Amino acid sequence: MIEVKEITKIYAATGGMLGQKPVKALRGVSLTLADGEAISLIGESGCGKTTLGRIIAGLEASTSGDLVFDGTALSTLSPRERHAKFQQVQLIQQDPYGALNPARPLGEALADPLRLQAKRLGKDASWVQMRAKELLQLVGLDPANTLYKYPHNLSGGQRQRFVIARALTVEPKVLIADEAVSMIDVSLRLGILSLLSDLRSRLGISVVFITHDVAAARYVAPKGMVCVIYRGEIVEYGATDAIIASPIHPYTQALLSAMPVLRGLEEPGPDRYIPAQDLDLRLDDEGGCLFRARCRFATDRCAQEHPPLVTVDEGRRLHSCFYPEARHVVAVPIEGASL
Amino acid sequence: MSAKLTDRSQQDFGLSPEVACQVRDLNVTYRVDGRELSALREVSLDIRQGQITAVIGESGSGKSTLALALMNAVSSPGRIASGRVTYRGLGEVTGMRGEELRRIRGKAISMVFQASQNSMNPLTRIGAQLLDLARSHDLPNPRAVLREAGDLASRMSLDADRVLTSYQHQLSGGMRQRVGIIFGLVLKPEILLMDEPTTALDVLSQSSVLEIVRSIQRERQLTTVLITHDMGVVAELADRVVVLYAGRVVEEASTAELLRHPRHPYTRSLIQAIPRLTGDPGDAKALEGQPPSLASVPNQGCVFRERCPYRMDVCETILPSFRFDGDGEHRFACHYEEARHD
Amino acid sequence: MSTASAAFPGAASPPHHRPSLLTISWRAITRKPSRVIGITIILFFTLMAIFGPTLYPKQLPINPAELYAPPSWAHPLGTDFEGTSVLAEIITGSRYVLSAAALAAVFTIGFGTLAGVVSGYFLGSTDQIIMRVTDFILTIPGFPLLIVLSTVWSFGSPIAMGLVLGLTGWGGLARAVRSQTLSLRERGFIEAARGLGLSNAHIITREILPNISPYIAMNLLLSVTGGIYAEVGLFFLGVIPFQASNWGVMLNLAFGNGALYTPQALLYMLSPMACILLVTFGIVLTLDAFDEILNPRLREG
Repeated sequence: MIEVKEITKIYAATGGMLGQKPVKALRGVSLTLADGEAISLIGESGCGKTTLGRIIAGLEASTSGDLVFDGTALSTLSPRERHAKFQQVQLIQQDPYGALNPARPLGEALADPLRLQAKRLGKDASWVQMRAKELLQLVGLDPANTLYKYPHNLSGGQRQRFVIARALTVEPKVLIADEAVSMIDVSLRLGILSLLSDLRSRLGISVVFITHDVAAARYVAPKGMVCVIYRGEIVEYGATDAIIASPIHPYTQALLSAMPVLRGLEEPGPDRYIPAQDLDLRLDDEGGCLFRARCRFATDRCAQEHPPLVTVDEGRRLHSCFYPEARHVVAVPIEGASL
Repeated sequence: MSAKLTDRSQQDFGLSPEVACQVRDLNVTYRVDGRELSALREVSLDIRQGQITAVIGESGSGKSTLALALMNAVSSPGRIASGRVTYRGLGEVTGMRGEELRRIRGKAISMVFQASQNSMNPLTRIGAQLLDLARSHDLPNPRAVLREAGDLASRMSLDADRVLTSYQHQLSGGMRQRVGIIFGLVLKPEILLMDEPTTALDVLSQSSVLEIVRSIQRERQLTTVLITHDMGVVAELADRVVVLYAGRVVEEASTAELLRHPRHPYTRSLIQAIPRLTGDPGDAKALEGQPPSLASVPNQGCVFRERCPYRMDVCETILPSFRFDGDGEHRFACHYEEARHD
Repeated sequence: MSTASAAFPGAASPPHHRPSLLTISWRAITRKPSRVIGITIILFFTLMAIFGPTLYPKQLPINPAELYAPPSWAHPLGTDFEGTSVLAEIITGSRYVLSAAALAAVFTIGFGTLAGVVSGYFLGSTDQIIMRVTDFILTIPGFPLLIVLSTVWSFGSPIAMGLVLGLTGWGGLARAVRSQTLSLRERGFIEAARGLGLSNAHIITREILPNISPYIAMNLLLSVTGGIYAEVGLFFLGVIPFQASNWGVMLNLAFGNGALYTPQALLYMLSPMACILLVTFGIVLTLDAFDEILNPRLREG
């Protein structure tokens, strides 16, 4: 089990229009990931979801806050011990092209971490061979046709499968998939999403799925949880189905509204609303609701007070809006127009 | 030069009134390792005046090659092996060279790329680049281009002054893509080509960019070609869809018709493979197999058969020809569908 | 997958076993005639340097009767001011020149790559220190330093010469390798390797080095030419006391003995120059093969 406790991350000013002052990427995020559970972190580019994923994977340090792995607070550990803990968490990057070394054959990319693992478990070289084949089959690749190839011989979808196989070499407890399908053809996305879902149910690996596409989250874990993040803050949290059917926070509603409507098969949802403004990280609106500049329901109160994260539905649902109202923004299938 | 263009602009070059651009038997090949590999095979299609025509396909389907071929901009090692691309008011472009072609690009036909930042100069402010663009097309009043760009920017809910005085790295991804569209529209082209205009964007930016394109297209009756791999984008924006697989057109219909009654098995699997917010997640099916590469496309028979659930013997040897449906507005090339309906 | 490749024989699937580096090199070199010429020149001079000197006595005979003799069967390139065969001098002199240049290249690449990779990968204070040293190396004028050094050191052995040339010449390469390492460092696969718990040594040798190896290999060859010019320059200026003749010494003596004014001495002066040019030419012709040999993407092309 992983507990994220009040994590904040502040990036120092880097100059340029977007960063003349420090950027608060995360403003105190807390959540819990149970073993074998799936949670989707949802938000648009720049909302802090990727930063959170990288902090959980140990690739970036937080400014404040702590991570607790199975009851052990990582801040109490030595760097070496912490490093070992972070190996339980493997990150699948967005870009399957950059994630593989172009100059080395795929078999070696898999054998390297497997050899380390073999040493740890006291296995020999034949185990490495066997395990490599096993893992490739697990992710739906043909070992005989993959091990001798170079990354550029694979399609985007095959690369991402390979990257997942490589992450599995160290037998992680958690996979963090950061926009893992956004650079892959739509036609091949579903295959990767159901692979992640399979790994969770078959191997009991927890999955943190980072995306801006709520529909994709649904295929990784229909029964999982969704955590909507806006400008470094959780604004809504709940079961995937509940969030889709009745989003409470206007930002969640905006994200769901923005999903393309398959006109002909679907009608736009009755309450569909897409804010005209872009996310503007320069806005200095501390003190009030961070979403108010783009929110069509914002009032004076939203400018003065910061809405706290409140619990409803016996703790299964969280939201931070003064005027919570479930709205139907998701497209409605047209009767009899399914394939 | 401009005199020549005005002369031509009244001519229809044999196109029927509703057609803005006609592509006939277009073959594009790439020379790889001494072999000529086909990227586009016998592609014929009509791009309709004032409509948005989408070309949908996976990586390697030849859709980006088609976009380049439409501007006669296929570069070595690729070349247009045969075929014609004829525009109303411009004529046949595959035979054009040099200056004649350059004038047409940007002014009559303009293109918005997937990663707009790659087509912008990182060292020059956006406004200065717009002025350069205007001057290179010999516009009498380059300042008017800036004004036009400013208007477009405001329509896209961008701060015009800020955008025009910015360098591209100072803009967010969504803003850059909008600026890319401003570049595409500012010379008031007759035809706008967009290659994956929203692929790098998140859903919110994507939907606002789509909204902008939609409203400007309606207002100007701009003939638009949209190249994409995303059926969601097609459904949001396009009037007609051309489905491309392994360099061949396999189906074409109006968007609503295609989504509701896809005939080609490939189109059907493409639609089924879309992750959706509604319905049973179990209903969606991933498209099996991998898109073919240039070298692995079979030279005879149906190009899709390797991944087709309805594969028959005849698919191995004979290329399916087009069948027309719905007043000739819907065409598809599939042996199985043909047999099923006969 | 397997059905697809079975259905399209000869499709884009590469062979199941990887060809050896030798096979790959052979294929890359024979692809273009220019590379074949280049590698032939390099091999020719390498063999000359290894075996050539064994064909002649240690002390080449002088013959006062045949000063500046024109080319003949006995002396294909004529003789010098002492009546020694120019060809014999070229051949016996090649060993020192070429081995010193090769060693200089190896040292340059060794120091430069090590400093650049370590600096770019570890960053922080390691980077600070290495880069200050690099700046120092870059700032000191190499050639004058060599002249000064030669007053205290005889450079009798090619190892000493190579080491000194290498030690003074690695600064630029270190900077270039560092910047390449910096950009590789940000790539996803390096981060993934760290996340998988692979050691720093592993990441440097197995992940980073293979990606910069084409660049390093090209620099290795270019450093050979650089080495030749530097040492020949030193000998030509006569700042290094020499025991045996080599190409630089030949040039020095040719000029010193007024070869510029005697047309008979033309071959004596031009022969070492021609050799230097030929070696450079061979290297330049071969350079572009390395990208193909070491970059897997181009290899299959």
